[in-house]
Amino acid sequence: MKRSPAAIALRWSGRVLVAAILLFVLLPGIVVAVTAFNDRALLAFPPQAWSLRWFWRAFSYSDFGRGFWNGLTVTLWASSIALVVGAAFAIAIHRYTFVLKSLLEGILLSPLIIPHYTIGLGVLILASQTGAGRGFPLVILTHVLLVLPFVMRSTFISLENLDGRLELAASSLGATPGRVLLTVTIPLLLPGLLSGWLFAAILSFNEFTATLFVSSQATQTLPVAMYNYVREFADPTLAALSVIYIAVTALLLSFANAFLGLEKILNVDAH
Amino acid sequence: MTKRPFLGWFVSPAGLVALGLTAAMAAVFQFSMRAYIPGSLEVGGFTLQNFAALVRPLYALAFWNTILLCFETAAFTLILAYPLAYALVRTRSSAVRSFILIAAVTPLFLGEVVRTYSWMIVLGNNGFLNTLLVKLGLVARPVQMMFTSGGVIAALVHVTMPIMVIMLAAGLSHIDRNCEKAAESLGAGPVRVFLTITLPLSMPGIVAGFSTAFAWTFSAFATPQLIGGGRVSTVSTLIYQLGFSSFNFPFAASLSIVGLALSLAVIALLKQATRPLERLASAT
Amino acid sequence: MLMHTDRMGVSASTGAGRQGRPAVQLDGVTKRFGGAMALHEAWLKIQPSEFMTLLGPSGCGKTTLLNLVAGFLEADNGEIFIEGALVTETPAHQREIGIVFQNYALFPHMSVANNIAYGLKTRGIDKKEIARRVDDALALVKLEGFGDRKPRQLSGGQQQRVALARALVIKPKVLLLDEPFSALDKNLRGSMQVELKQIQRELGVTTIFVTHDQGEALSMSDRIAVMSAGRIRQIAAPGDVYRRPADRFVASFVGNVNVLTGCLVERRGEVATVSVGGMRLGVPAAPLAQAAIGDVVDVFIRPEHLALMSGSTPGSLRGTVTAQVFQGDHIDLYIDVAGVAREPVLLRAPGIAALSSCPVGTEVGLVVRSDDVVAFLPEASS
Repeated sequence: MKRSPAAIALRWSGRVLVAAILLFVLLPGIVVAVTAFNDRALLAFPPQAWSLRWFWRAFSYSDFGRGFWNGLTVTLWASSIALVVGAAFAIAIHRYTFVLKSLLEGILLSPLIIPHYTIGLGVLILASQTGAGRGFPLVILTHVLLVLPFVMRSTFISLENLDGRLELAASSLGATPGRVLLTVTIPLLLPGLLSGWLFAAILSFNEFTATLFVSSQATQTLPVAMYNYVREFADPTLAALSVIYIAVTALLLSFANAFLGLEKILNVDAH
Repeated sequence: MTKRPFLGWFVSPAGLVALGLTAAMAAVFQFSMRAYIPGSLEVGGFTLQNFAALVRPLYALAFWNTILLCFETAAFTLILAYPLAYALVRTRSSAVRSFILIAAVTPLFLGEVVRTYSWMIVLGNNGFLNTLLVKLGLVARPVQMMFTSGGVIAALVHVTMPIMVIMLAAGLSHIDRNCEKAAESLGAGPVRVFLTITLPLSMPGIVAGFSTAFAWTFSAFATPQLIGGGRVSTVSTLIYQLGFSSFNFPFAASLSIVGLALSLAVIALLKQATRPLERLASAT
Repeated sequence: MLMHTDRMGVSASTGAGRQGRPAVQLDGVTKRFGGAMALHEAWLKIQPSEFMTLLGPSGCGKTTLLNLVAGFLEADNGEIFIEGALVTETPAHQREIGIVFQNYALFPHMSVANNIAYGLKTRGIDKKEIARRVDDALALVKLEGFGDRKPRQLSGGQQQRVALARALVIKPKVLLLDEPFSALDKNLRGSMQVELKQIQRELGVTTIFVTHDQGEALSMSDRIAVMSAGRIRQIAAPGDVYRRPADRFVASFVGNVNVLTGCLVERRGEVATVSVGGMRLGVPAAPLAQAAIGDVVDVFIRPEHLALMSGSTPGSLRGTVTAQVFQGDHIDLYIDVAGVAREPVLLRAPGIAALSSCPVGTEVGLVVRSDDVVAFLPEASS
């Protein structure tokens, strides 16, 4: 179909606009990637010579290594706990009414609005008042608080998309509520639960602000270690680490998109 | 057999967690009303001194700056995110859709430190933008972008884009395409269809996105801290300073409380103001 | 007279519309989606003020054709004309068409009046005139006073009427309806069909109506275009489509039909004779052009063409009653006719007498009481 010049111009200017915005979104990533391969120590651009030494340093710097394992520990615990607690609660609010339902829901969703530093501060004060040490349990608790809303949301969306009649059919065939839950409900919710867990894990691993408040030298996670590094050193080591971060995350997300369909998870698919 | 099997099992763990959160928030409340004992982590008796101290212009300015920052960030993010969300939902090529999705969503998962750090390289005096500008001969000397609120806003917009794109796209994907076709059949060209049909019907997404962006930006810490470098003062950076430089937790607590109250008030106002807009698009 | 497509040049249809410049014309229009052909070369002429129905099962291409006329899809080949003007490359918003969607597609953020006024505003008509025309439109669809309501406050039927008013108020060159009544319940559907037909006659607007419901098509149309698998099988008035189906698809899709095995006995000019279980029947010869004398053919006989006789009547088809289904005003009898029909033959017996006179197991004889029997070549070869 021959479009009018105006329509053609509109279409192409739209494409240019989107491309320009995408450039803005990708710019820091590209810049960081290039910087990571810089041979010199300065945070200068463009690099004069290329080398991989910053990648070696990123891997060998002990604080980063420790931060990585700490972060992994916290994340695995926090997202798994959040998954169990959050999914169970989401099922309860979706299907039942009970005393204090709205209140509990409100409290547990509030970390979406309450700044992370406030929550971090609160947990820190609570810990010092009760004498609880600044160890892993404290950090894990904080992370559970922060990622729980996402697990709840993701489970809720899955529940909305679940055909309730399947559970009714199972019941009619003689299954007890427990059996229905284990053999029908949870298997059908699995994609949503998995994506909720993945979401929570990634957010927890990268969480910085609240962790800064509640972690100690011994328990600091990778983002906190990176923050401390930036304040002391000005070399591209962090750039190298960032590149690794970006590559791994993009890969994980591409996986998630291929297998679970990111659009569905984010509730963005066209109906 | 009860009508609500497993209710206790499902709710108790969540109840415990809720208790924990409430206790933490109660701790903040409590500390905001305790006296600060300089040089120690102990606190004294009950007092309202911490709140009185907030009345000073220094802090009022910080609050105002923060709110302004949040609005500007949310507004710019909305303007930049809308075309992306539109392209994401309307493109017919699944390759393009996947690309936009991954590109837009990945920054969300990178964490504040990585994102902020990459902006430092972009904005620095020897960084990408300045080198480009100098090389192209557009400026004689590097333009100061780090440690300015402009730089902070740019980075914050970048940080907020993913969530805005997601919310806008969710809103856009729920629009009945037949309405647009009907408008077209009635003689509306593409621009008119967009302005009279698509845009109004995407209002719920816009409102949700703007409010969320506002709340998130208020929460931001690493970005104003690292890029602002102490010269761009926000509620978050002030609290950190008070808590970790002077260890004045009570004051930090009172700052948190007022900051929280303020942001909740603004969000509530936003909700009220946009309610007519939201109803604009409600379908059956 | 059988007709395959307007391309054959045969056009003596019984139907409304003066012969002259067609209101809508498609010349060899094709449309492909990815690898699949949604529409093979479509040739179609719709006369001014005609009510043309596109009838077929889902996936047959009828909605594709509608969207091509509307301008929402671009044709891969061929030309489309509206009132003589070439519109193949004209965008939808310049084609002066009115369209009613299955889900109404009313603008949820506008009142009923503003919905209807939308098409008038895009044409730059002044406010007073718009208000007047909106009132007229509301009166036309019997919704006076509903102007200030929002779509979500209306019932399904009312929403559909607003959608109709919105499409008609702009005085379109063609009115397009995409299965508009399929979401309504049976009684409402019936009354809406009558109303639509009245309005269409009153305004004289050329109408293209898409449906998969053959009853709807038969009752409302001036002509029907029966489609399947992206092709137009037959274009004719409802009576001709029913009594003289062009191929076996049309014969079985429109109305009920029994398929019996017969063989070609004789061919003379336009009439052929087939033998079904010894009974000789006259059928149109055209569909059997490829068959030789003695070949097996499928004979299509509608239930109402059959009459029930006692089992010993000479010259009848012998069979046994295998089921009775009470339908209120008549009984459906299923009769197993061995050697002649693969499935039980359906016959309609008026009243309720058959319930007692022909219980399951009764030996009966069937005779054909109609000239409207058709025969086609068996499946594999046609």
